[in-house]
Amino acid sequence: MNLMDVNSTWAWAAYEPSLDSPWDLDAAAHLFRRGGFGAPRQQLVKAVEHSPAEVVESLVSAEEPKTFQSDMQSLLRAAIATGNVRQLAAQWLYRMLHTPAPLREKMTLFWHGHFATSAVKVGEVRLMQTQNELLRKYALGNFPELTLEISRDPAMLLYLDSATNRKSHPNENYAREIMELFCLGEGMYTEQDVKELARCFTGWEIKRERYRFNQYQHDAGTKTVLGVAGVKSGEEAIRIVTEHPAAPRFIAQKLFRFFVMDEPEPTDELLDPLTRQLIDDQMNVGPTVRRILGSNLFFSPFARARKVRSPVELGVGFLRAFEGTTDFLHLADTMDQLGQGLYQPPSVKGWDGGRTWINSSTLLGRANLIHRMLNGSKTRFGKRPLPSYFAANGIDTVADIAENMERSLFAVPIPKPAIERLKTLEVANRDSNWVNLAVHAFCTLPEFQVA
Amino acid sequence: MESDLNLRLAEKKLSRRRLFGHAGQSTSLFTFGLTAPSVLCDAATLSIEQKVLVVVEMAGGNDGLNTVIPFRDELYRKARPNLAIGSDEALSVNDNLGLHPSMRGMADLLENGKLSIVQGVGYENPNRSHFESMDIWHSCQRKGEPRQSGWIGRYLESAKLGNLADPPALHLGKRQQPFALMSRDVRVPSIQSLEQFRLRAADTPGLRDAIRSLSSQSRVDASDLLGFVQASSRNAMEASERMESAGVQYKPSEAYPKTTLGRQLETVAKLIASGIDTRIYYVRIDGFDTHANQPEAHAVLLRNVSDAVGTLVRDVNAQGDGDRLLVMCFSEFGRRVAENASDGTDHGAAGPVFLAGNGVNAGVVGEHPRLDDLQNGDLKHLVDFRQVYAAILQQWMKCNVPSVLGAAFDPVAVLANL
Repeated sequence: MNLMDVNSTWAWAAYEPSLDSPWDLDAAAHLFRRGGFGAPRQQLVKAVEHSPAEVVESLVSAEEPKTFQSDMQSLLRAAIATGNVRQLAAQWLYRMLHTPAPLREKMTLFWHGHFATSAVKVGEVRLMQTQNELLRKYALGNFPELTLEISRDPAMLLYLDSATNRKSHPNENYAREIMELFCLGEGMYTEQDVKELARCFTGWEIKRERYRFNQYQHDAGTKTVLGVAGVKSGEEAIRIVTEHPAAPRFIAQKLFRFFVMDEPEPTDELLDPLTRQLIDDQMNVGPTVRRILGSNLFFSPFARARKVRSPVELGVGFLRAFEGTTDFLHLADTMDQLGQGLYQPPSVKGWDGGRTWINSSTLLGRANLIHRMLNGSKTRFGKRPLPSYFAANGIDTVADIAENMERSLFAVPIPKPAIERLKTLEVANRDSNWVNLAVHAFCTLPEFQVA
Repeated sequence: MESDLNLRLAEKKLSRRRLFGHAGQSTSLFTFGLTAPSVLCDAATLSIEQKVLVVVEMAGGNDGLNTVIPFRDELYRKARPNLAIGSDEALSVNDNLGLHPSMRGMADLLENGKLSIVQGVGYENPNRSHFESMDIWHSCQRKGEPRQSGWIGRYLESAKLGNLADPPALHLGKRQQPFALMSRDVRVPSIQSLEQFRLRAADTPGLRDAIRSLSSQSRVDASDLLGFVQASSRNAMEASERMESAGVQYKPSEAYPKTTLGRQLETVAKLIASGIDTRIYYVRIDGFDTHANQPEAHAVLLRNVSDAVGTLVRDVNAQGDGDRLLVMCFSEFGRRVAENASDGTDHGAAGPVFLAGNGVNAGVVGEHPRLDDLQNGDLKHLVDFRQVYAAILQQWMKCNVPSVLGAAFDPVAVLANL
């Protein structure tokens, strides 16, 4: 069957395990990869003892415990004190790796790519972290509220020049992007809308690193935005933009691409139930995310291995599979080299993802990252080097490694010839560190790049 | 001097032959050279005679009006009370025009007959979204038309460069690959430095071979996405081997600017000098979106581009490959004629394109767009950007233009009769 022929009612109905897509370790691993950053085998084994709906619910409702939050706060304060965005990125990777609420973290990353803001222009790392907290707070929350908050977020105000948006010379940067990239999509508005909307945001300034409204710089005249006449304030304008009929579809499509598959683009008909759910929920995103992750389509073969691992998913996912930890500063720098520098997306458009993650230099870089992590002095798996971790878990041969990695890290089976070839390598390198060698080799397979 | 150069070229031919010998592909390449039908692009001659194009993308929308400055125009000074650059500062090109004062590198190129400035380049119904406009320049398609490949990607397809032993084009940079290079059949590697092409673990016996063969084996039942990753993996392994053997003996004739762009163009010079068969190099410099506090930022950006391109042209000439090099610098749009209240400028329309190299028709091509005849506050374009591409494709890459651009375009007169 072709994706085009999928019935949209079936697609988004609650997942019913079947012969085609049983609720097993592979299905649980798929859920944890997409709805988080992967999970070690023990967690998968535990998950399949529950129903899929229960596991999805536990992902959606998970919250960081207070102790975890306060630990994170002190680590972040130290990172901010360095004034170095690399430290901030390293802390975020640490959080992704250790969080008990991985879906919230995954959605925070989603919004970071959506409301993309780069420290390269903003400069002040404290403001970047303030924005990051905002994204985390609303990660599974109300989209119009998040959009209003982000429109007054100091990092965003600096990034899209709204901080210098004056009555006499409206600056159109933010007005354009809020419609083109944040809420509606290109072609859903006119150039006149951009000009009128820019007037609504005049006087939205920053004072002492906080948003403030400067009524003397605000153009108090009435404006017409997206066909609505008599608009005065920026708040009103944001309400009109986020209530525009194009908005729920725009967000549904982005969630679909983020959680379900990179390609092809879904048809309007397939997306329709998600679009309607967003409307019914007043654009609260959480229930739609829950519905996607607990759906027939999500667990079906259509959605398996249909996403290219992002660099963050690759790095953090690898460590999570074996309860690992590593040099996070190096990991953060590598994310940047591989095209996903945290706190510094390439442009306001965020990361295109999918095939654009892959080219010769990123593929070699991905292989080298795994090599570097495996052999780095700061890397530990369950507090041990990988060979002892494996030994303690009864993983003794290349075949064992393959079986274990296939469950937790691979969305498609590892090709048999690859396993055979590595068995001969194991024999040739029995004296040296053949465990690291085999794991590295498996991670260079094209199959490892999809999730 | 002359014999010195010939000697160097001969050496290069030899090292190339070694490279091909190693790859075991010399026979097939020569056969292709003899039998290539003439309708195809002239792509199959020996690499050391091949023309090379270096594209410098100035991303964010370069303020063309403060780059090639009509300093005598009263309307220019009126529109730019804070940002106007006067005749005393601009580097004069002719009686009415000057380059931004920080563009010494390009001004020198102009004096030496190696720079051509095409004025007022743009397209009908300009789109002021960075991404839309950049996509239009890259794909030559408007929104709504199918965009499956970029103009350089289509050139690579049309020239049948997908089967070359070396990557036919290279993107230097860590950001995502420019859409211009996208193609259905030909994949273009991205690199940040030659070092990145070394696969770690090469010291483990057998691992390297294993990895290469594992990533190259074809899979049955691979999805489109997995098939794509597989083809890319194969490409990565091959490209990495070539990069390692290329570019060992090169020494720059002068120091490149110590900027990312400077380092990238030095890598380009190194690769050209190595005799590698790459035809197109693509680099991108970001930051031209000067909505606020433009003067200092713009000066730094223009100095960076101008110095780096100037050094590249001189260095490649010193290495004996000057006649093979053409550089094109473009931006997705110019900026609004009137400045804004933040000492900046907002998104506009037409702007200048620069071509540098020994083969250019040096000087200013075309008129400056009129400041008394604007379109929504923006400069009207006088030259379609595809006319610039057409000149490069037809006269430099010797290629059939409609197969790449979808239609015939009048080439703009930027290249001298070569």
